[in-house]
Amino acid sequence: MFKYIVRRLLLTIPILIGLSFLVFVFVRTLPGGPGIALLGERATEESREAIERELGLDKPLVSQYTTYLGNLVRGDLGSSIVTRRPVMDELLERFPATVELGFAAMLFAVAVGVPLGYVAAKRYQGFLDNASLFGSLIGISFPIFFLALILKYVFAVKLGWLPSIGRMTVTRSLEHPTNFYVIDALVAGDVAALTDVLKHLILPAIALGTIPLAIIARITRAATLDVLSEDYVRTARAKGLDPGIVDRRHVLRNALLPVVTVIGLQTGLLLTGAVLTETVFAWNGVGSWMVNAINARDFAVIQGGIVFFAFIVVVTNLIVDISYAFLNPRIRYS
Amino acid sequence: MSVAEAEAAELSLEDQSGLWRDAFERLRRNPGAIAGALIIVAFAAVAVFAPALAPHGPNQQVGRLAAVPPGPSAEFPLGLDQQGRDVLSRIIFGARLSLLVGVVSAGVGLTIGMVLGSVAGYFGRWVDTAVMRTMDLMLAVPQFLLALAIVTALGPGLVQIMVAVGIANVPQFARLLRGSILAQREADYVLAARSLGAPGRRLLLAHILPNSIAPVIVQGTLAMATAIIDVAGLSFLGLGPADPRLTEWGKMVAENAGRLESAPHLVLFPGFAIVISVLGLNLIGDGLREALDPKLKS
Amino acid sequence: MALLRVEDLAVRFETRKATIHAVNGISFELEQGETLGIVGESGCGKSVSSLALLGILPKNGRVTSGSVRFGGRELLELSDAQMREVRGRDIAMIFQDPMTSLNPVLPIRVQITEALRKHLRMNDDQAREEAVRLLQRVGIPAARERVDDYPHQFSGGMRQRVMIAMAISCRPKVLIADEPTTALDVTIQAQILEVLRQLVAEERMALVLITHDLGVVAGLCERTHVMYAGRFIETGTTSDLFARPRHPYTLGLLKSVPRLDAARKERLEPIQGVPRDLRSLGEGCAFAPRCLYATDRSWEETPPLRDVAPGHRVACWNPVPDADLPDRGAPEGEAG
Repeated sequence: MFKYIVRRLLLTIPILIGLSFLVFVFVRTLPGGPGIALLGERATEESREAIERELGLDKPLVSQYTTYLGNLVRGDLGSSIVTRRPVMDELLERFPATVELGFAAMLFAVAVGVPLGYVAAKRYQGFLDNASLFGSLIGISFPIFFLALILKYVFAVKLGWLPSIGRMTVTRSLEHPTNFYVIDALVAGDVAALTDVLKHLILPAIALGTIPLAIIARITRAATLDVLSEDYVRTARAKGLDPGIVDRRHVLRNALLPVVTVIGLQTGLLLTGAVLTETVFAWNGVGSWMVNAINARDFAVIQGGIVFFAFIVVVTNLIVDISYAFLNPRIRYS
Repeated sequence: MSVAEAEAAELSLEDQSGLWRDAFERLRRNPGAIAGALIIVAFAAVAVFAPALAPHGPNQQVGRLAAVPPGPSAEFPLGLDQQGRDVLSRIIFGARLSLLVGVVSAGVGLTIGMVLGSVAGYFGRWVDTAVMRTMDLMLAVPQFLLALAIVTALGPGLVQIMVAVGIANVPQFARLLRGSILAQREADYVLAARSLGAPGRRLLLAHILPNSIAPVIVQGTLAMATAIIDVAGLSFLGLGPADPRLTEWGKMVAENAGRLESAPHLVLFPGFAIVISVLGLNLIGDGLREALDPKLKS
Repeated sequence: MALLRVEDLAVRFETRKATIHAVNGISFELEQGETLGIVGESGCGKSVSSLALLGILPKNGRVTSGSVRFGGRELLELSDAQMREVRGRDIAMIFQDPMTSLNPVLPIRVQITEALRKHLRMNDDQAREEAVRLLQRVGIPAARERVDDYPHQFSGGMRQRVMIAMAISCRPKVLIADEPTTALDVTIQAQILEVLRQLVAEERMALVLITHDLGVVAGLCERTHVMYAGRFIETGTTSDLFARPRHPYTLGLLKSVPRLDAARKERLEPIQGVPRDLRSLGEGCAFAPRCLYATDRSWEETPPLRDVAPGHRVACWNPVPDADLPDRGAPEGEAG
């Protein structure tokens, strides 16, 4: 098991290096090159040359890449041309918001999607099965920003049940040692703040979690159907076990294996959705930060955002692979 | 063509037509797929015959300028926008761009992906390694973000958006084709044809690629659905077609997102146009997958 | 009184297109410690019969008639919960493919002990000790160390031993083995059959051995029932059936089995044709289309099982005459 984890960790290194190369190439394909990208299109020739010298852009590409890689490893992502602050500082401030939202969305997707898919499979071709299949198809057909807008309109504007924007009521004061507001509220022991934070979390999390929910439900259903026809389930029934035990111990445990993999694959989708969801709900995360940067052509920030998202994808896949190994003895012992 | 080749080709063709006939039968019995097909045919017809179907031009001012434009009425079934243009007509003309964008983006991804995947799968060795590792890297970046990054590099605009979404689709198709080719290369009928002396390149074109078509069609349909959603998303972020005369559903939603309270029809109608067209594609894609691969029930 | 008495059992499957008549009225009895072989081609309904006995038919299958009496109780009338008390405790089953019949994500200890805990109310420690003892019993070396291993860490033959250990864990009175050696290498087959033979003898378990392989029943079973298209077409002691097969199908089966002692270079004779389509019951003998002995009556009227000798019954209008029997000795390894 330990060996497997080490091997899996080592495997991520070439991926990270490759990704950094991809981003490096991306920055250099920006219109006019990174100099113009940083200074804006109206920059003079002299100032462009000056900044390119400053950034080492006059050096050969190989040494540029090593410098860039060195900066990346040290966590130096350059500075924003809008705020003049280091990109890393802003990223550290903002990423908890995105992670908190993504986590809540995934929690919603799994908590609803897995039971839904499971029950659908148990009622194969019944009403509930067909309804959930069709429902999940509708779910994946919604552009996420449109769903977010509708949710906001119905539950925040029309019904007034939930707040429509932000992470917390503006007038409320709460210390932010971690910037994960849920954790901050828990640390402060402030129940009112916690309720407020959770209320703000509900709509964005549902908007963001709906597509993963649909996909997870479908995969759970398919996996459960597969497992239900497995010989070992028949063996379990032949032992006279109670149906509940057969379901939990023999069916669900095996059916969840592919679901875990899919949850990993959904992270990318989730982060994608975060860009749009955060925009709709004015959520101060990495997504809305990137959108602002795109409109301001703030390339250092865009690069930082992409590096962050890719990093999260790599890390989640790592976590998923390792937990998969814990669940599946065939991998653990090979 | 030698006799042996001809026979081998005929064999696989027979397989094929049987497969397609069966698939068509299964498709016809699937109400979802039929509904999907009807939706897409309807939308395509609307796109093609937009000038004949739309009561007004997409940019024609038929009502008064208004901060809070009127909603649906007998005269304008889907209401007017704040510039006095007929929403129904704009949605009808918008179908052209949205469907075009879906087809072109998926087509770009499919073409490049198929070429890369076939090359990787057919040549193997370092070509395979180089191509597939690059694809893996691209897959590590979420598809929409990849498209977002590419649009940022290319600048906003209709063509840029289609290229960006298309390129973001490449890795999926490349993987699919390569996997399929690797599997087919070892398939019995290919081994049989090879043992009969059919040359390698012809094998790829005559046997391997046609047999990989089924999953590509499924993936292509679903990629069109994703492309429409992604393009709408990019439009929503302000990276869509810059030309104000171009009508696109995502842009219509984006431009009016702030008027959801005062004039919900401006957001809801184009939004649901996207949902329904994407649902149609997903229904077909799902039906096709089930029809072409009965083992896959998901 | 017989330990297990099955009477006129019939099972049907409803599929979207048709009703499959899988089992069409079979009857048999089983005494304590008795060994019965049920032989037939795949698809003849032999596995379905055993699933029906245990009440674990797939969802679209149901018992349409008949009775299954076990120890004085009618099993077909029991509630689900009552039936679960019988399964695994009184009647246990070994399945064909040990590669797929064990749950891949659970250590075998869990899989062996779950029946012990349910039926015999053992606690964790007792169950674990019992699992080790059972594994030793079926001949798994280093059982104490291996009890926590996962199925994929065992070879096919060892997995089938685990399956047997699981099945006998609660000392069932009836053990049903459905093609227990079909998925295994020939060399392993003999070992597994030996394990079964010993267990049945020592525990006085009744064994129902379901197989397509006449060689397997020859070595293990006192009596043999030959099944075709959901019916028994010949029943009797194994030695009678091998020496004097009366049904043309049984004769065909015997001729298609290779024999080690074939002195002359006898050719194997496959049975011509394909098994009957079970979608319609129809009149007449189901084997008639493939039968050299078929008469007009065979096509019109279904033959019932009739005595042709004491304890030897055949369902055939025109049984094979002595003159047509091949000149062959008793099968090797005959049970006796």
